[in-house]
Amino acid sequence: MKKLYFTPVITGEKEAALRAEVRSFLDHYGAFNVSNIIDSWSICDPELSRALAEKGWLGMTWPTEYGGGSRSYLERYVVIEELLAAGAPVGAHWVADRQSGPLLLRFGSEEQRQYFLPKIVRGECFFAIGMSEPNSGSDLASIKTRAEKVDGGWLINGSKIWTSWAHVCHQMITLCRTAPPSDNRHAGMSQLIVDLSQKGITVRPIITLAGEAHFNEIFFDDVFVPDNRVVGQVNEGWSQVVAELAFERSGPERFLSSYQLLEAAIKELRETNLMQQAEPIIGKFVARLMVLRQMSLSVANQLQEGKLPINEASVVKDLGTSFEQELPEAMRLILATEPRSSANGGVARLLSDSILKAPSFSLRGGTREILRGIIARGLGLR
Amino acid sequence: MSELAQLIEQSATRLFEDFSDSNAHELMEAGQFPETLWSDFLADGWLTTLLSESDGGSGLGLAGGCVLMRLAGYYSVPLPVLESLMAVYLAAESGFTVNDELLVPAIISEPLKADSEYTIRGVPWARHASSLLVILSSNNETRVSMLSCQSVTIVEGQNMAGEARDDVTINTTQLNDSQSLSGIDIEQVKSWLALGRAAQMAGSLQRVLEMTVEYANDRSQFGRAIGKFQAVQQQMAVLAEMTSASICAVDAAIDHLASEQEWELIACAKITTGESAGYAAKTAHAVHAAIGFTQEYPLQLNTRRLWSWRDEYGNEAQWSAKLGKHCFQLETDNLWSWLTTQTS
Repeated sequence: MKKLYFTPVITGEKEAALRAEVRSFLDHYGAFNVSNIIDSWSICDPELSRALAEKGWLGMTWPTEYGGGSRSYLERYVVIEELLAAGAPVGAHWVADRQSGPLLLRFGSEEQRQYFLPKIVRGECFFAIGMSEPNSGSDLASIKTRAEKVDGGWLINGSKIWTSWAHVCHQMITLCRTAPPSDNRHAGMSQLIVDLSQKGITVRPIITLAGEAHFNEIFFDDVFVPDNRVVGQVNEGWSQVVAELAFERSGPERFLSSYQLLEAAIKELRETNLMQQAEPIIGKFVARLMVLRQMSLSVANQLQEGKLPINEASVVKDLGTSFEQELPEAMRLILATEPRSSANGGVARLLSDSILKAPSFSLRGGTREILRGIIARGLGLR
Repeated sequence: MSELAQLIEQSATRLFEDFSDSNAHELMEAGQFPETLWSDFLADGWLTTLLSESDGGSGLGLAGGCVLMRLAGYYSVPLPVLESLMAVYLAAESGFTVNDELLVPAIISEPLKADSEYTIRGVPWARHASSLLVILSSNNETRVSMLSCQSVTIVEGQNMAGEARDDVTINTTQLNDSQSLSGIDIEQVKSWLALGRAAQMAGSLQRVLEMTVEYANDRSQFGRAIGKFQAVQQQMAVLAEMTSASICAVDAAIDHLASEQEWELIACAKITTGESAGYAAKTAHAVHAAIGFTQEYPLQLNTRRLWSWRDEYGNEAQWSAKLGKHCFQLETDNLWSWLTTQTS
């Protein structure tokens, strides 16, 4: 049984100063569109991403030689949680900053780092995740998209799905089968960086039940990728994907997606004088949020120490997405309002958005059942 | 873990891990005090854990004490570890002379009438104590009286784990002779007791998780270990999540002792351990099935404590209401800035 480590972290003056700087930036930037502040990290606003890049808040932890800020994971944590709590639409650069850049730093070639990282840091290059396929969701090892070796590179055929912002992003790290399936299901896959402006790529939007058009299906028809765009080792893609997950699953975006509803509910309950009956519910959710912040910060600190706390990241994501899904369920019972999907609905609109967007919270980045399976393996049950 | 915590853990483990072979639990639940275990506990000098070195203690403080509490919870130690340590500390802080006797704290939260009988409900271990340390608030000051247990009426009761929780009736004139607990607020005393209990619960949760994982790997049905079934794995994963959240919440509260955020993080720790306790007990028993439901099997030592302790020194609803009220009293729109002070 592997122990789960969540040693609490106390942030210091450096982090406090940075936090103040982010708050001041947000004050000056102006209010965000209310219809976008629930799940704001799946909303794309390239202009905001470039403004954040100018502040040095993209690629913060990366070495300065690639344009990064050489700052700590704790500092990055402070910046991203402030942006998320304010409902900032940070979706454009999110994947590149959170996982594609760190993946290239870990496994990419020197040329890839020098080419992509400075562009990401400047807010000029957004990345999409190319993992899921129409018939491969949780069972990622069953992917069918193939990359065939040709002279000087690879030819990709197949399709990817649920790809957020593929119509806006510039590049996609695409998991492809580069060797036929064998007894080892996890062997024979590779990660290829695909330029999304390439010939042979078709992007078809998929509208969510909430009426949003952020994700897509992508079709590859003989798309050529040169040899120098393979990330890491050919056929070793699976272990690289697994390493990526510690970055993907532990951040504050895994529990702050519906946070704005909590703030608005407290305000509304105060104004309608319904505080007393709501106190235990508000306190319970605030306590859960306090623990999630401690746990997520602790994982950030472990990443800083060079560890890859994959099991801990799964714990944060499972507990975190449960929190952000249960929050609207609890708030609707203490607020004296029905959810409203109309634009000027105030807290009723936030309630509506939270309920309609909540199902995806525990699907994206690994379903609840997959995460619990990983944790069970860590416990020594599998 | 700090070196100090490691040292505490090593030496307390030596004391705690072997006693379970004895009949200490049976004795305790039958209403007797586990004298041998208690004398070993005293001999190792644990009673003065919270006292500063100048007061004759080991200077480990409440933070060090919580390491001990967590182990006591892990091993279901049938001793008043939390109560004895806290009472000795508060007695010393109020200027009473303390020796190696069992003192237990008894808190009175409501205003008292002069010269009348008053019953303090559910005082832990009162029947075994030599004195009660009664703590109350009077004219915005926390006052402490030391009452010999010979001078009060005790009606015995016990919690679900068989631990003594006695109703103690006193005459309020007995409290006239009191000393000031300067610099310590009664609310603070309540929160420290809650933290101690939360630390015990965190230890107990860890033990329940370990026992359940081990059992799920050993017990075979339908030709394989029951832990190989996804339905079981999914529940166990949540058990591990809640256990690790509880340990983290307790550790964070310990780290923030004596800071401005002290009570808020303690509230969070008691809420988190309290919520986890019910889930852990339910899941552990489901996985252990009928064998875990027997007295013979040791799982019940932990689960009965978890069911009892989650309601002691404030349950989840009480601490949540206090925390929620505080959130409503913050200035408009500053929940987030308050939240972020909780990790700094």
